[in-house]
Amino acid sequence: MNPIFDDFREAYENGNGYLLSQTLSPIPPSSQPQRVYNFFRSTNFAAAQKDLKQKILPFKLDPDESKGWVDIYQAYWKAVGEVLNAENAQKGHTKAAWSKVYDAWKEVLNALIRGYTNCGFEAWTVPCLYVVGKYLRIFAIKADEGSGNSIGAVTSFQDDFNPEAEKNEKLEDAARQLNRIFQICLADRAEIGESRKWGIYNIINLLFKTYFKLNSISLSKNILKAIQAYRGDMPTLDKFPVGHQVTFKYYIGVIYFLDENYAESEKNLTEAWQLCHKDAVRNKELILTYLIPCHLLTTHTLPTLTLLSPYPRLQKLFLPLSRCIKKGDLAGFDAALVAGEDEFVKRRIYLTLERGRDIALRNLLRKVFIAGGFEEAKDAATPPVRRTRIPVAEFGAAISIGSKETMDNDEVECLLANMIYKNLMKGYIARERGIVVLSKGGAFPGTGV
Amino acid sequence: MFTTMNTPWAVPPPPGTQGQPYGYQIPDMATDPPAYHPVQVRQSFSQPALHYPPMVQQPPQPTDQAAEAGEKKKIDWPVPVRNYVQRSFEPGRMDPDVPRAEMEAKLKETISTATEKNVLYTLDWDKLPLPQEMIRHDRRKAAGVAQEAWRQQSAAGKSFVDTSTSKKRKSQELVGDNEDSLPPWRATNPRNGFEDRVTYPAERFDKRQQPIQDDNLKGTKKSGRRKATTLTSAISSNLCAKTLQSNASKNAFTVTVYEIHARIALEKGDLGEYNQCQTQLRALYTQNLGGNPVEFKAYRILYFIHTSNRTALNDVLADLTTAEKQEKAIKHALDVRSALALGNYHRFFRLYLETPNMGAYLMDMFVVRERLAAMSNICRAFKPDVPLRFVTEELGFESDSDAAQFIYDYNGQALLEEKEGNMRFLSGKAGQIFEVAKSEAFRKVDIKGQI
Repeated sequence: MNPIFDDFREAYENGNGYLLSQTLSPIPPSSQPQRVYNFFRSTNFAAAQKDLKQKILPFKLDPDESKGWVDIYQAYWKAVGEVLNAENAQKGHTKAAWSKVYDAWKEVLNALIRGYTNCGFEAWTVPCLYVVGKYLRIFAIKADEGSGNSIGAVTSFQDDFNPEAEKNEKLEDAARQLNRIFQICLADRAEIGESRKWGIYNIINLLFKTYFKLNSISLSKNILKAIQAYRGDMPTLDKFPVGHQVTFKYYIGVIYFLDENYAESEKNLTEAWQLCHKDAVRNKELILTYLIPCHLLTTHTLPTLTLLSPYPRLQKLFLPLSRCIKKGDLAGFDAALVAGEDEFVKRRIYLTLERGRDIALRNLLRKVFIAGGFEEAKDAATPPVRRTRIPVAEFGAAISIGSKETMDNDEVECLLANMIYKNLMKGYIARERGIVVLSKGGAFPGTGV
Repeated sequence: MFTTMNTPWAVPPPPGTQGQPYGYQIPDMATDPPAYHPVQVRQSFSQPALHYPPMVQQPPQPTDQAAEAGEKKKIDWPVPVRNYVQRSFEPGRMDPDVPRAEMEAKLKETISTATEKNVLYTLDWDKLPLPQEMIRHDRRKAAGVAQEAWRQQSAAGKSFVDTSTSKKRKSQELVGDNEDSLPPWRATNPRNGFEDRVTYPAERFDKRQQPIQDDNLKGTKKSGRRKATTLTSAISSNLCAKTLQSNASKNAFTVTVYEIHARIALEKGDLGEYNQCQTQLRALYTQNLGGNPVEFKAYRILYFIHTSNRTALNDVLADLTTAEKQEKAIKHALDVRSALALGNYHRFFRLYLETPNMGAYLMDMFVVRERLAAMSNICRAFKPDVPLRFVTEELGFESDSDAAQFIYDYNGQALLEEKEGNMRFLSGKAGQIFEVAKSEAFRKVDIKGQI
């Protein structure tokens, strides 16, 4: 029991919230791999409260505060007991075991929240909320994923019956608990230097993570609304720890991305990208997963090989598509999209990447235009002018080459109309004469011809 | 003296000899309206409670008329026949939709056929359906035939799609029903052959009476084909569904009820009801109780396209298996999605005309806004003009006049011009009118009862 309370003393003396929060981690620090186990073995159910009191009272804290910590460590002692138990659980019974862990861990959280609401815990201790919240989410996922029958299977058949509910029972509960933490941080009226508001973005990030996992991303909007409402008495985002900022901006970027607001998305993701720690490869990879499709749509640019070189996973994801877009290979693009569909859908970028087909088509049409060569020069002095009247049939032939299927003329015209409408190609279709009249000055904006 | 006394007291004419009736007046129906509204006593449950026949008092003469018919052949009518005729004209059994003359004709026909066939005495007149019921039955049959004929005609009228594919919206299940077979409610209902089960009061639905609900449903299924009674069948299937919900029963029958209810809701454009059913069905399909999960998954996709719910669409894509993606209905819905994503209106409207099952009802909800999108596209890209026929074909209109009407609806009258006997659409001069209408149309997407 001693190592934990040594840290507790040190944290209290220095006001070190992160050190304090480590005493509540269910995972022992690598320097003391037996710490949690020893803590659990050092006392028993009957003696736990008395033993903990003996440890905490000598710190001469405020009586309420001491009581708060005794309750927290007592709940923690029970919870780590369940964790040790669950880690040794037999296959087929893991669900019940992890469910118990989750319930015990929720008690730790309840005791901690009471500490803030009733026992006057100070703001520097908020990292404890991060740690407890983080593991609440982890245990909930383990409980939901565990095998074996759950104890109280949902069999009711109500109006809004949700088949997902059973699958994510604990995680949904965890989302509610995290929301409570969010509220006690948000609603703290203490002066800003002493406010729990400094913990808010970490908790928001936890909530976002949970909502994404639950496929209920729309709930994130409620959080953003709440933040917006309190923005008057909140420090600006750039005053918060950089780690919190990066994760927050990443999630905001993804939320905008899913809303098809690519401009805002690009802005937030770029900021996250710039702030991200240079060695956080995994995080950078996640940011790029959304930033690359974003760029493809907003600026029609593709990722370079050097950008992708440190991320083999992204190479696999984006390279085949990029190659086809560059070549204007429509059939290849379709095939690559189908091949990567599962992965794209999982990362929610399928619907965005699909639109890259426009760029592939633009590149193909541009090739037709260039292959058309130049008008016969009237006299040698004027610079040569490209042929700008191109039969629809020529475009049709180009489109059909890859797929080896003849596309009917109306559909070709439809695709061309789309290009013109989206301003990827300048000109108009003269249907009667079956030709496309392209603009003399920049038929394909932004591509040099 | 006597004479002076007598003049004011004219001797009344003997009763019956002159115009003035004596004592009391017999009311004259043709001129004097009755001083009260007759309210009939309900004698059966076969009529909706609030539906009274028109307020004209029926003089008690039907038996005389029937007797007239009888006099010609000098037959003494047996008691059951008289009762039958009497029952036919009982005010509670009158049908406001069946005119009296038609009823009498039918009655005459029935009785004379019976006489000719010599079954007047042997026929069970007590069980024979009343003439108004026969007429109603005949009408239904006729309506079915007429609808079929109309459908074929409209399919043939389409100039640009091959005639075999009409915009058919009925699910296979309904198509399987045989129009001419015995109505299902007759087979199990011994009381009155033509009583419509659909109109039974709600208390009759009971957990323990599944066979009855089953019949009820067949009736609903059947009547779902007739526009006129869709309302009653919707109510009926609704009640059925609600009862199931409160009974918490889950089996193949439950699935069927919700499927039919969802289809009717779709047909009536009631998205709220439809969504409730879809929610239930989604849960039921996970339990492998049968039904048509493919059909309804396809509807889900189309619905998300309608509400432009990208997140949900992505989730649906994530849930589909490779095998499911090959199913006709789902493949169609996915193709619709990709055609729209790529702005390929040409392909979209081809798909619209080939929608399987009842998906066209869902597609109808967003086809207008997609037409506007395609119109803005065409107006931007094609110069100086295109034939109206081109618009008709590209945007999946039934006829040139429909296309013209569409252009008119958005104040595009000036853009239509006759040239060398052909209508032409001046796409180059349309300016922003369709662009404005398009952004307006895309802004409002109904999200009530969102899944």
